[in-house]
Amino acid sequence: MKEIACVSGVELLMDYLDGVLPADLHAALDEHVAGCPRCAAFVRSYCDTPRILRAATAATLPAELEASLQAFLWARTTAFKAS
Amino acid sequence: MSVVAPTAEPSDEALAARAAAGDNSAFEAIVGRYQARIYRLACRLTSDTDAPDVLQETFLQIYRHLPSFRGESRFGTWLYRIATNAALMHRRARTRRPAESLDVYLPRFDAQGKHAATPAELQVASHADELLDRQFLAEKARDVMARLPDLYRDAFVLRDLEEMSTAEVAHALGVEAATVRQRVHRARLMLRGYLSDLVGVKP
Repeated sequence: MKEIACVSGVELLMDYLDGVLPADLHAALDEHVAGCPRCAAFVRSYCDTPRILRAATAATLPAELEASLQAFLWARTTAFKAS
Repeated sequence: MSVVAPTAEPSDEALAARAAAGDNSAFEAIVGRYQARIYRLACRLTSDTDAPDVLQETFLQIYRHLPSFRGESRFGTWLYRIATNAALMHRRARTRRPAESLDVYLPRFDAQGKHAATPAELQVASHADELLDRQFLAEKARDVMARLPDLYRDAFVLRDLEEMSTAEVAHALGVEAATVRQRVHRARLMLRGYLSDLVGVKP
């Protein structure tokens, strides 16, 4: 079994989570994370980051923009059809 | 007693075919179905200020190119690709901002390659949404997305925020899947460290 240090594990993390690592490397990383509380904590926060930013950047379409989009598209598509 | 069967919503593809044939109500239905999602995507790839222009440009292009939609991909995928391109083109037309290093938020290791921070410190980013005010976090999230190098931002937005598959992102950005993974990884490391820093803990 390959020995893995935290720093190498972090470098491989995305490939590990995407399931594209060779089987022996994947198994070595599994074993490292299982025995390393620091890496276990790091992996959790690495996986939680997209969820937190997805919620924090979920902009809502303003009603006035929806209305102006409709007016814009009506004018432009009518002109496009007429051309 | 008569029972009226619920009318199924027409599929995107059915609406697209009707809109391409000149049915304006079908085009309006497409706009209604996707406008909120495209606005959100545009905000994430550009800014709140630029998103309205990207939204307009996207639906105008959809309207013009509907007759060329051949159904080789799902309609939603096709529409997202047009919206992504519109956002990237819009951004390119802007004055380029200087690249800013977010390396300070990358994880730290000791001489043996072991994490320098404790497990409790390493996990704190997971709780940023519980520990910080929602409005404050939303503002900071917008700020840091704008500071991310464009290549990382695009891959992260599409893969992690819009939840497209790695293969779909690779196709949309015209790069290899391995490149997408590498860019998303880099973005996640920086953003994870940034969240940690917001809470007052070194990444």
